[in-house]
Amino acid sequence: MIFTGIETLFYLLGIITTLFVMGLLKYNKELKFNALSWALLGTGSFLCIFCIAWSVSSVLEGVPRAASMGLVIFGIPSLLFLLLGRKVALKKK
Amino acid sequence: MTDKKTDNSSALNRRNFLKLGAAGAALGAIAIPAKAKETITKKIDEKTAGNFIKTHDEFPHEIRDDYKPHSNQDIMFTAGFWGFHPEDVDVANSGKQFGYKTFMHYEEKKGFDQLSKALNAGGWALHNNVSPLASQAISGSGILKWDQYRKKEGEFLPHHDWVNEHQYEFENKQEATNAIKRAAKLYGADLVGITKRDKRWDYSDFVDPQAIMEGRPEDSVYGWERFPFEPKSVIVVAFEMDYEAIATAPTDVQGAGAGAEYSSMTKTVYQMAVFLKQLGYQAVPCGNDTGLSIPYAIAAGLGEGSRMGNLITYKYGPRVRLAKIYTDFEFVEYDKPIEFGAMEFCKNCMRCADACPNGAITFDKEPSFEPTHENKDRSWYNAKGVKKYYMDARKCFYTWGEFGTDCGSCMASCPYNKPDFWHHRLVDKITAAMPGPVHDFMREMDQLFGYGEVGNLEKIDKFYDPKGRSYNGH
Ligand code: SF4
Ligand code: SF4
Repeated sequence: MIFTGIETLFYLLGIITTLFVMGLLKYNKELKFNALSWALLGTGSFLCIFCIAWSVSSVLEGVPRAASMGLVIFGIPSLLFLLLGRKVALKKK
Repeated sequence: MTDKKTDNSSALNRRNFLKLGAAGAALGAIAIPAKAKETITKKIDEKTAGNFIKTHDEFPHEIRDDYKPHSNQDIMFTAGFWGFHPEDVDVANSGKQFGYKTFMHYEEKKGFDQLSKALNAGGWALHNNVSPLASQAISGSGILKWDQYRKKEGEFLPHHDWVNEHQYEFENKQEATNAIKRAAKLYGADLVGITKRDKRWDYSDFVDPQAIMEGRPEDSVYGWERFPFEPKSVIVVAFEMDYEAIATAPTDVQGAGAGAEYSSMTKTVYQMAVFLKQLGYQAVPCGNDTGLSIPYAIAAGLGEGSRMGNLITYKYGPRVRLAKIYTDFEFVEYDKPIEFGAMEFCKNCMRCADACPNGAITFDKEPSFEPTHENKDRSWYNAKGVKKYYMDARKCFYTWGEFGTDCGSCMASCPYNKPDFWHHRLVDKITAAMPGPVHDFMREMDQLFGYGEVGNLEKIDKFYDPKGRSYNGH
């Protein structure tokens, strides 16, 4: 293996982060987020990226339970933040 | 407790920590050279770790005025194997059981079968061959001898185990300490700290099993007058034990993980002693013998004390073995004790106490100056007068006798015992920054996330699984 699992993970996380940032900027142009939607969407995006990082790391470590707990603890709040942020942003429009 | 002060220049070797979150992930994506990326992450890591690691000027545990250095006769192994404290028949029996079962394999008992015993034997092999008694706290065993030979004119000694007449002069203290630490790492140490010799942590006397075996009981205990020089410094080295091996506790695979590091530490401290001797200084390499490794390691800034009694290091948690080198070389920059929240965490955690098969670890909320456990009135093995958690070594030793190997369940269950992955280091840092009540929650989460389970024989399959070792957590 040239790249270890963790190296590949962080490379992909970089790409995912860039996509999230580009997505947020794109929709901000369209919807003009207010402070609340920025806060909700920002937190949601961070949690989502963190959730991927945590869970994949736990799988690589061989502790699947920590991976699934990661999905619950970080993934669900992340989805809630993102959905709520989207709702606030759309309502404003 | 002494005054705490933050020291950002802590000498601890920290791993690349901040590869996480947006900053780290973005760094990962941007095409900057690997070397530059490493420097950036190291800088961020040093900044963050500096905020969580505090240093102390003095030894960080309170010590009562009546504290006395511990006697070698009062070490559980010395009593269990060499007949000191003959009134404690159960201790002698545990010693016998341990010796007997170490060599027995039980095919029906996973983790104690021939494969596991063979693995264990291989792990200990070098230690048991070249310094067989150092693990049992007996000084001067095998190559860990106290001898400070001066070479005669024209004598050919290819092992270089003699004190050079010419003393090397270092430019300054920092250069001396850098060279000593670098050498220790080259020879195999994972962590190194240097502290002043402190008589409080030295054994008050020493045991000579040879004299016992030869029927000369009057010679079986001797004092510091036989030590070849006045020690000025103690170099303390720590060795990381294999995570997967320790996770199988309490089995012989766990014992193999411990034994492998006993072999490594014997090699390293011997090489360190020869290195110092060739610089023209006197040096005695030690394992568990001659002085108490844990307070010396705390004094040398390698980690904190804990409920289970083991040292908890910042990098490997309690999953380390310790050894030390006494030397008359004092021209070094000494390390200071550190604190990153482990002892605080222990107040609420108690997972090791839950995991211990024989209840040897206390559930007391606060540390104390005296043992509080069931056998406290006949606990000659506890060095009393230091504010810490006292464990019931009698019960622990009994368990070792039952298993015929060195259990290690406490170590395997501890939330600080994690492989070297970024997310564990993140949690450690968050834990260190949080107040007590959050620690309860952190402990529960650690358990919910599936860490620290002991007595799970599937962990042996994971230990042998070739894929299990293919990850890289760095
Ligand atoms: S080694 Fe085993 S018996 Fe001894 S204290 Fe730890 S868990 Fe308990
Ligand atoms: S398991 Fe918990 S209480 Fe025991 S040493 Fe580790 S942190 Fe402390």
